[in-house]
Amino acid sequence: MDEWKPSPAGKPHKKRSWYLAWKYKLMNQRALRKLCQTGAVLFLLVTVIVNIKLILDTRRAAYEEEEESAQDYDDEMLNVEVPRHPVNNKKVLDVEVYSSRSKVYVAVDGTTVLEDEAREQGRGIHVIVLNQATGHVMAKRVFDTYSPHEDEAMVLFLNMVARGRILIFTIKDEGSFHLKETAKNVLKSLGSQVAPFLSWRDMWTFVGKKGGEVYGEKHAKSPALSTWGDPVLLKTEVHLTSVEDAECHWPDTELNRRRKRFCSKVEGYGSVCSCKDPTPIEFNPDPLKDNKVFDVPVAVIAGNRPNYLYRMLRSLLSAQGVNPQMITVFIDGYYEEPMDVVELFGLSGIQHTPISIKNARVSQHYKASLTATFNLFPDAKFAVVLEEDLDISVDFFSFLSQSIHLLEEDESLYCISAWNDQGYEHTAEDPSLLYRVETMPGLGWVLRKSLYKDELEPKWPTPEKLWDWDMWMRMPEQRKGRECIIPDISRSYHFGIVGLNMNGYFHEAYFKKHKFNTVPNVQLKNVESLRKDNYETEIHRLLGEAEVLDHSKNPCEDSFVPDTEGRVYVMFIRMEQEADFTTWTQLAKCLHIWDLDVRGNHKGLWRLFRKKNHFLVVGVPASPYSSKKPSSVTPIYMEPPAKEEGAVAVPAAEQT
Amino acid sequence: NGAAFSKLRGSQSGQDSTRWHVVRKFLGLISSHNIPVYLIDPLILGLVDKDIEQIRSSPDGPSPECKYFCAPRDFTTFALLDKTWKHEVGFLRTAEKMGFQWLKIINKDPRLDGLDDLSGMEIPLHYIFKLASHAIHLVVFYERSGNFLWHGPLRLKQHMDRKFVPFRKLHFGRYPGAYEKPELLLVSIDDLKVQIPKNPSSFLEEMSHSRFLECRYREARAFFQLYPDDASLDAVEFRKKAKSLLHLAALTLNNLGVKFWLSSGTCLGWYRQCNVIPHSKDVDLGIFIRDYKADIIPAFQKAGLPLKHKFGKVEDSLELSFQGEDDVKLDIFFFYEEDDHVWNGGTQAKSGKKFKYLFPKFTLCWTEFVELRVHVPCETLQYVEANYGPEWKVPVKTWDWKSSPSNVQDNGVWPIDEWDNVIQIY
Repeated sequence: MDEWKPSPAGKPHKKRSWYLAWKYKLMNQRALRKLCQTGAVLFLLVTVIVNIKLILDTRRAAYEEEEESAQDYDDEMLNVEVPRHPVNNKKVLDVEVYSSRSKVYVAVDGTTVLEDEAREQGRGIHVIVLNQATGHVMAKRVFDTYSPHEDEAMVLFLNMVARGRILIFTIKDEGSFHLKETAKNVLKSLGSQVAPFLSWRDMWTFVGKKGGEVYGEKHAKSPALSTWGDPVLLKTEVHLTSVEDAECHWPDTELNRRRKRFCSKVEGYGSVCSCKDPTPIEFNPDPLKDNKVFDVPVAVIAGNRPNYLYRMLRSLLSAQGVNPQMITVFIDGYYEEPMDVVELFGLSGIQHTPISIKNARVSQHYKASLTATFNLFPDAKFAVVLEEDLDISVDFFSFLSQSIHLLEEDESLYCISAWNDQGYEHTAEDPSLLYRVETMPGLGWVLRKSLYKDELEPKWPTPEKLWDWDMWMRMPEQRKGRECIIPDISRSYHFGIVGLNMNGYFHEAYFKKHKFNTVPNVQLKNVESLRKDNYETEIHRLLGEAEVLDHSKNPCEDSFVPDTEGRVYVMFIRMEQEADFTTWTQLAKCLHIWDLDVRGNHKGLWRLFRKKNHFLVVGVPASPYSSKKPSSVTPIYMEPPAKEEGAVAVPAAEQT
Repeated sequence: NGAAFSKLRGSQSGQDSTRWHVVRKFLGLISSHNIPVYLIDPLILGLVDKDIEQIRSSPDGPSPECKYFCAPRDFTTFALLDKTWKHEVGFLRTAEKMGFQWLKIINKDPRLDGLDDLSGMEIPLHYIFKLASHAIHLVVFYERSGNFLWHGPLRLKQHMDRKFVPFRKLHFGRYPGAYEKPELLLVSIDDLKVQIPKNPSSFLEEMSHSRFLECRYREARAFFQLYPDDASLDAVEFRKKAKSLLHLAALTLNNLGVKFWLSSGTCLGWYRQCNVIPHSKDVDLGIFIRDYKADIIPAFQKAGLPLKHKFGKVEDSLELSFQGEDDVKLDIFFFYEEDDHVWNGGTQAKSGKKFKYLFPKFTLCWTEFVELRVHVPCETLQYVEANYGPEWKVPVKTWDWKSSPSNVQDNGVWPIDEWDNVIQIY
């Protein structure tokens, strides 16, 4: 009976996050606790049943697939026999749209513009936007509306598409499970008659003009929970309009010429292409007085997530003190759209042919980008390294300008990072405060050229090593005991949810509640105290002034910290040796901060805020600050939980 | 009053004032767009150099005659530092409105060449602005690793108008070039305000030896496909030490004004793999004996590199060896020029035997190597082949300097009474 296996790997996360959120809300209400438990058990049961069903279905599907692909083959043969050549002045486009469980495709005038028959990916609603005058593909998206929140992304996207564009929809595998009312209504408003009734494993294709006519729609209902609707093939014609009608008439300026080029090629960027009131693409933020990082090159590492890149560059170019001439965007692969975004903002971009797979590819892309940056700016002593899924704080450059001299002068420093791994809404408070930490947070950081050229570049992991570059940089062989400077409140915000190491649940749990500075021109406090020796003096001063918390209480409880503001408190946890993070990990878990590995420590000390009080955690006896522990206090020890709870450590994408 | 002045001059001396007008218009164009260009025209700088004292002392004085910009020439050449301007389309539009026809030569960015599979936007290397019978050649200079400026070659693409200007007469663009970052001086010549290199004669001297060779990155990649790079910790460490030793040696010799080039294994490493050969164990440089200075030994000692041995003497087969950090050695071979070849000598310490290594004659080019601007023989292939034979592409781990090189000749034995002088080991 091996069908009766527990649920597949990805499944429990969703369950846990949902359960957690619920638990969190109801925690203090004793009466509801029981209900909560019952609910969880019930939910567990349902999940198990659904999963078993899925396993059974997958087996059946594997069998059905063979028949289906034979059918596809026939269709393709037909296309080959009757080749259709697009003619330039033709006013009508032939459009074919195919929807099925394992394959979708869209052909425009005989040219395949979308074809996806890869296993285990591309599930959901595929959307293609065509230019109504030229028939060119302006956007291609897939929204996995089987999973939560993807329908919201789709609505957002559809709303951004300009009126008059041709929209093509097709479902692969499943696209209705998390397709909510709002999304269905948007599809309905586009003229779809089927969308409001789309259900589990239905096949569906639709072609229409935004704000205009419908060119065709086909739908095949799934006959039963365990099977898919029959494949549907929609063939229709679309009438093209004149180029004049498809373009906006902005004043002829250098900026608008860039805008025009961009808007005639791609879609889904909202008001930047609005005819009436287009959003600016040049920002001219205030310059910084005495900007120490004006000549520091900025390398933006990007993949094929042009919308992210667009959002990222907007925030970067709006940051005070930015110098656009120093920015280079490095695109991993020959993707057109990210390059279009780069050109829209008048920046320079460099494309990188992928040379290896997954993490190793990212890592090789990083190396090439960093080397290129120092080649292009041979005078630079530093480089700012950013990624395409970051928002950049308005005072990002101001923050760096005030701290960069430390990186130049203090050899015990490894980097300056804009990101505080432990800086959540409820644990970060002071925008002017900096820390030294033994970990390397990444997510917006400054790299010293000498570190790169003398140490990292020569021994950068080769492609076959398949290492994450950041993990590699964190290894003791590389870091050599050096520390990074970080702010209490992060100067970057990680918004990416679709990435190699990212999924929706993971993002929600670990990134969404991250605090992000929005105050301009923050004057950093006592920057000199961040130097190696000064920092020790500072820590001793802090610990000297700190009030020892009541160690008989539960540190996870809110009441562990008094209802005060602006005080300094210290607690002592058990930490047998340097690498003993047992108690810390449990504490991090219950404080709802980063617990997947150890971050933010400095010699066995963690600094954060609780209830607007500075909250210090010292690991005893491993930390040199253990001497500050009064002899009457017993360090708190927290037991690691049973195995089940710990199973979250490796997030994986959910799969049907 | 410039127009009146030039008219006057033109009529009096029979000189052509078209050039002066075009240059003035061009300077107006670039100043209206805040583009800092400087004059690098070798013919004008040659004239300017003769009067440099006077020009320096009266930066604003009116010129009694049109001495520089009125000689009838097809071109006047200016330089532009890439990082000091934005590639603005507006600039070219204004140029058009002023009546200039322009040609832009773009090509790929050599700073990305050494990197696997990176493709950036093409960069502008040269502009030519034509008005009436005169043309302005604007050469774009880029900063490169190794603290120098680089300009690209001027190569016409297929669709380009080959008769736009007489390209063969251009002073820049036949080869790529490498220059020091110049100090500039704002002067007024022929009533035109223009920036020039502060020291025109040294700029002109530099120009005559400015040819630059790019490393053969594509071939180097092919080499590493065949023979994967040694990524061991030892190799990484050695390369790091060799690089810093080369930087120190370059600094020391440059301060002395002694011209040197990459020789032997170091040259082979550059030519074959664009990197230090990790198993080579030393750094090799060549110096022409005519450039020898007695200060070389003390200068290296002062830089923290003690003399390890000295073989031969200035008149014959001189070779110096300095001790770098942890067993990495710096070998300097002195080259003796004959009518149809050059050679350097070798000495076997225990036997007093002399050897001679023969090379075809060569000139020196600049290149960029481990973030340094250094010389290499322009005719690198002949040089490397003379030294390592036709099989130089195949890495060899065991190398005997007395027998392996294909250009080695026995050269007798040092007389015993000279040994104390010609065989010094420390």
